[in-house]
Amino acid sequence: MTIKMRPIALNLLSLAVFAAVWQAGSMAVGSPFFPAPLEIVRAFLRLAASGDTQGTSLWIHSWASLYRVLVGFAAGVLLGVPLGLLMGLYRNVYAATRSVIEPFRFIPPIAWIPLAIIFFSGLPRFAFLIFLGAFFPVFTSTLVGVQRVELVHRKVALVYGASRLYVLTHIVVPTVLPDILAGMRIAMGAAWLTIVAAELAGGTNEGLGRMMLNYSELLKIPEIIVGMILIGLIGFVLNEILLLVERYLFKWRWQVTL
Amino acid sequence: MALAGDIVNAPTPVAASVDSRPKVEVDISHRYGALKVHEGVRFGVQENEFLCIAGPSGCGKTTLLDILCGLLAPSVGQVLIDGERADPKRHNISFVFQEPSTLPWLTVWDNIATGLRIKKQPEAQIDAMVADIIRTVNLTGFERYYPHQISGGMKQRVAIARAFATQADLVLMDEPFVSLDQPTRERMQQEVLDIWQHHKRTIIFVTHNLEEAVFLGDRVIILSAKPASIVADIPIKLQRPRDPLSIEFTALRAHCVRLLQEVHVKGGGAATAP
Ligand SMILES: Nc1ncnc2c1ncn2[C@@H]1O[C@H](COP(=O)(O)OP(=O)(O)O)[C@@H](O)[C@H]1O
Ligand SMILES: [Mg+2]
Repeated sequence: MTIKMRPIALNLLSLAVFAAVWQAGSMAVGSPFFPAPLEIVRAFLRLAASGDTQGTSLWIHSWASLYRVLVGFAAGVLLGVPLGLLMGLYRNVYAATRSVIEPFRFIPPIAWIPLAIIFFSGLPRFAFLIFLGAFFPVFTSTLVGVQRVELVHRKVALVYGASRLYVLTHIVVPTVLPDILAGMRIAMGAAWLTIVAAELAGGTNEGLGRMMLNYSELLKIPEIIVGMILIGLIGFVLNEILLLVERYLFKWRWQVTL
Repeated sequence: MALAGDIVNAPTPVAASVDSRPKVEVDISHRYGALKVHEGVRFGVQENEFLCIAGPSGCGKTTLLDILCGLLAPSVGQVLIDGERADPKRHNISFVFQEPSTLPWLTVWDNIATGLRIKKQPEAQIDAMVADIIRTVNLTGFERYYPHQISGGMKQRVAIARAFATQADLVLMDEPFVSLDQPTRERMQQEVLDIWQHHKRTIIFVTHNLEEAVFLGDRVIILSAKPASIVADIPIKLQRPRDPLSIEFTALRAHCVRLLQEVHVKGGGAATAP
């Protein structure tokens, strides 16, 4: 316990110093365009209690964004993992389709927004854009992970008469799982980058991006910062959840050598 | 006295009478593309025999084991186990690999149970067999450890335990002790002999260490350099437990060393037996 308390205390201290410097800077400048931390807190309480200008609460905005991210993210994982496994196991499929697949990776999801506006509306539009951001990190890390499967581990299973399916589920998947989880964490980051941009592009009344844009038009900086902080916090929490899953699943890597 | 005098220099398998058909019959040639690895490697292995195979490094010992267990098809010829073509799905074969082969995401217990699980043994039976073999290889207390938490020697013991946990028709061991220090290696050799004496198995043990071969084997086969063929097939009729310092042991080992040296001197040309 004593070991874990130290970093927590230090992090709280860092936060306090950060807030103090912010407060000092704000007081020194003394302009409504540099609000103090306390004003952010007040804006947060206002938004949480009575919602925005249209009465839409902060939680509805947050949940709208989170839901879109989760749907697109799930689609990215559900397609990225099997395709990554398939192309990793059958390298010639990947080699033969590489020139089709790879260029897509370099089209940022944001560049798809104009097309997405034409073809989709509502949830499918956002889910599609998030999917584009989430798919490649998962797909690529799965593909690379399959190359890490050691021949001798396959042989261990095959020599006892294992089927191809057994090798896939008991040798390939356990080897690749850490890479998949790492890819999922990168994908989660990419998903948040995309959702804000997509919501800023319009087509919705809900979502943290939308809310921030509304307050931007009203020049209300504290409310915008509340949106930014929430996006950062939700992303952070999601990342921590994935890290916890990793730690639980990969005891065989994380445990300290005795 | 039946010892060094029984040395035979020709690759004549022991089996002669009809009722003692060898457990394993090998007659293969193999090449990787243009690279000839084996040329007319032919021998038999009796049930419960401990056969050691020695040869210069790169002569195709690992490849031979891959062919023996049916993971690799030979370019020419075949391997028969109990008269049927070797097939990991049909025969009970286990393999201790040259490189570390414990599965890092499984505990010691689950690693050892792997073969039994693939063979779909009943859980109760798996538990009994794993518990038994863990006692034999002295891993009691480490059942729930992951491979990265135990030493290299212990990992190799896990791999050996896994190979002996199944009722294998044939156990293949590929230079299993190369990475171990001398005292550990000696202890492991003794452990393998103990397991072999308690749970009778047919073992093919590859090594390039002739002292190890003479210490362990009922018989030692010496391969030439690529393309490999059998240079000598030497029955080791020393009584067990063997004393590596005894005159008979030393003489037999020296004989093997000389044969292997000839192989090295003649290089690739030693394809034809003396
Ligand atoms: N999969 C492979 N493809 C091509 N050549 C191989 C392959 N595996 C082994 N070889 C070659 O075959 C020869 C025998 O290899 P190996 O069986 O590993 O020898 P040993 O175990 O006796 O050291 C070596 O020259 C090696 O380079
Ligand atoms: Mg080898």
